[in-house]
Amino acid sequence: MSRAPSRLRWALVAIPLVGIAELGAQIWATHRAPTFDAWAAIEAPVRALKQEGDLVVIAPDWADPLARRALGDALMPLRDVARPDETRYAHAIEVSILGERAKELRGWREESRTEAGKLLIRRVENPAYQAVIYDFVDHAKPGEADVRGTDPPLTCTWNANAPIVAGGLGGHPTFPRERFECPGGVFFNVGVTVIADEEFRPRRCLWSHPFARGEIVTRWRDVPLGQVIRGHGGLYWVTERDRKGAPITLTVRVDGDAVGSFVHHDGDGWKGFEMPLGAHAGKVAHEVELAVSSPNYKDRHFCFEADTR
Amino acid sequence: MSDKARGRLTDLLVSLGLFFGYVTALLRSVQDLGYARDEGFYFQASSSYARWFELLFKDRKAAFVPQTVDAFWNANPEHPGLIKGLFALSSLILQKKYHLFAMEGTSYRFPAMVLGGLALVLVYLWGAEARGRVAGLAAALFLALMPRFFFQAHLACFDVPIVTMWTLTAYAYWKSLRAPSLVWPVLTGVAFGLALDTKHNAWFLPFLVVAHIVAREVLYRLDARIQGQREPAFAVSRARSFTALAAMAVFGPIVFVALWPHLWHDTLARFRWYVSFHLNHEYYNMEFLGKNYWVPPMPRAYAWVMTATTVPGITLLLFLVGLGARAQARRLSPLAAALRGRSAWIARWAEGRPPPRFDAGSTDLLWLFALGINYAAWTSTGTPIFGGTKHWMTAYPFLALFAGSGFATVVRALRRELLRQRRRFGWALAAGRPALPMTALCGAAVIAAPAAETIHAHPWGLSTYTPLAGGAPGAATLGLNRTFWGYTTGAITADLNREVPKRGSVYIHDTAGPSWDMLATDGRLRRDIRGVWSVAGADFALYHHEKHMRGQEFQAWVAYGTVRPTIVGGLDGVPVILVYKPKAGR
Repeated sequence: MSRAPSRLRWALVAIPLVGIAELGAQIWATHRAPTFDAWAAIEAPVRALKQEGDLVVIAPDWADPLARRALGDALMPLRDVARPDETRYAHAIEVSILGERAKELRGWREESRTEAGKLLIRRVENPAYQAVIYDFVDHAKPGEADVRGTDPPLTCTWNANAPIVAGGLGGHPTFPRERFECPGGVFFNVGVTVIADEEFRPRRCLWSHPFARGEIVTRWRDVPLGQVIRGHGGLYWVTERDRKGAPITLTVRVDGDAVGSFVHHDGDGWKGFEMPLGAHAGKVAHEVELAVSSPNYKDRHFCFEADTR
Repeated sequence: MSDKARGRLTDLLVSLGLFFGYVTALLRSVQDLGYARDEGFYFQASSSYARWFELLFKDRKAAFVPQTVDAFWNANPEHPGLIKGLFALSSLILQKKYHLFAMEGTSYRFPAMVLGGLALVLVYLWGAEARGRVAGLAAALFLALMPRFFFQAHLACFDVPIVTMWTLTAYAYWKSLRAPSLVWPVLTGVAFGLALDTKHNAWFLPFLVVAHIVAREVLYRLDARIQGQREPAFAVSRARSFTALAAMAVFGPIVFVALWPHLWHDTLARFRWYVSFHLNHEYYNMEFLGKNYWVPPMPRAYAWVMTATTVPGITLLLFLVGLGARAQARRLSPLAAALRGRSAWIARWAEGRPPPRFDAGSTDLLWLFALGINYAAWTSTGTPIFGGTKHWMTAYPFLALFAGSGFATVVRALRRELLRQRRRFGWALAAGRPALPMTALCGAAVIAAPAAETIHAHPWGLSTYTPLAGGAPGAATLGLNRTFWGYTTGAITADLNREVPKRGSVYIHDTAGPSWDMLATDGRLRRDIRGVWSVAGADFALYHHEKHMRGQEFQAWVAYGTVRPTIVGGLDGVPVILVYKPKAGR
């Protein structure tokens, strides 16, 4: 007993203190994030800060549902929550907790910041903003667009009150109430839905399942054009991740001229394309067609979005 | 009363305290825990088995007609019948006859709770016998207060039952090596059969026993060569180990087939199907560090990271202390002895220490191998990870046993220190039982955090992570799985009862139909609320968050015209379950 205690013995003796420290850490861990109801505090400052066209982004992304619950569809509309990317936004409001920052806003310039309890709200400016002149998904409705098949020739009719169809657990994305319905079954329709990309992020897009033969063509009329037609295409990731499906081609035609095509292979995920408009740039096109086809239409749950800028 | 009798009485009282304390805690906390997806399938199978038991009690001859056996027992052939049979008997006798439980679902869960309590008793007895009562009690509490173990111990599933059966088999084998009786080898064989009839984790048990027999043989020979003498008792324990192994080979299959009526006919073909089902099990999705894994290669770090972030840190620290202390006690003998001539550091470390006492059970080796074998599968990138921590939970009693040893080491070190400084700390060394107040204080200090973590986790057991991960918010940020199995519906039944219109419908997402139905049978959910399988037309839609299931949430957005959840449930500010309803006017 007279031996001086070794450092090891002191370390052992200190272990109960580690237990107490963990208890303290547990209390800290359970209180570090704001409660669900605390998110209500962001509504007023975000409403005051947000200007027309601003995007609202939450960091970390797991807190997104809490912000959606607090802010509602007016401040966080589906169009923004399931955006194709961030390039079309000049400004964003970032709501963050726990010292996190949104990866997609990295490099954006901070204009202002305010705190609401544990929540930090910043308005940031996009240094690489690109203005969208015309969003094809927004205009996929009668009067501005129509849908047809080419082989055999057929017309897809607009139904403003179609029965909503959703795939359920592991199933296909929802076919919305308002959609162009084509002959051949419920999968053959063109309507605005949301798919999960390769990171299971939401992507708002125009469902456009190809037919067995020919193309399914969506045609927009009187389209003001920018310098390019730009967009993304993909499938609900669970459908394409087996990499067993046939390639899908999206062909873009402006007033009858093919300005480019985009081929989606299974495994590509939510992939972008950009097609220069050449002589059509800056004009108003009489018609723009986005035509989808595949050599084998089985499980080709293709969905795309496009704009011109 | 002799010391031995007093010791036995102490063990009995502690065992009863652990058992009844844990089962009571489980029963008292079960009412707000929803039903996991798999439980729903086991309710169905158990109901089928219960009907067979009813027939058996009425007309034994008719019950054993092969077609009748198959008609009732071919349900859910993916898993053996023993535990589901217990669920069935519990529901049939304890609930339908004696109405013991407030909810019918609890009657199915009760056998697993009892087995959870028995796991603690086993760990206590083993720890107490091998390392002393302080170590045993601490080990049992460390196991009881692992948040994920506590969660699983509520469920009508096989994961906690297999922990108990696995530990029981290993314990019986260990006793076989030490006791001059045929009872323990026979018990080893019977326990192995029960384990086989519980879950396929039991297939690892023969590997444990064979590896233990081989390793102790190698180490013994090495030791004998170095020390120049042989331990006569080793030959006896060697013979006993072979007896136990033989008993496993004989009694294991007999008990397995006898207690699983599905195998009574067409035995080989059905057994082959069962084995093949698990060897070729499909891969389900699981998120780990932000990535969704659904096909190999699976991440090798998965089991280690998940253990580190879900088992309380102090338990893991004491496990390391226990491991180190045992290595020191055995001087890593005989490997250290073999290395003594080659390393000055090892020579200094081993200097002056007496050779370790002969341990007929080779306890440290057995616990270490039990740990290693239960984790071994996850060193392969081909092993599925979809079940999370429950798949290697059979390792946790052994982790707890080492942690218990670690705690005993800490108490000894503290006691020595207090004795050294007797004048300053005399109050902690009260006359008569000097170790007791200090041990209790020390125990409270190391148990407080696991207790707080376990109690706080309920009923979000699969969402909980320790402070090492930053708790639930830290784990969500790291991209660790937040939930699976759809059981969190149970946490929002009050909201649904309040919000859903009369005879309204709810899209139940990942909750299995029979799990949903049991909530209604229990009276936790209004009986007029219908569970449906599509958001289209449903009045409300549930979404249990899993990375690969986000498409389910998007289905609700499009169908309901809103991204705003009306109800959010979760842990520590982290959403786990969301409820949507259609936007007004849709």
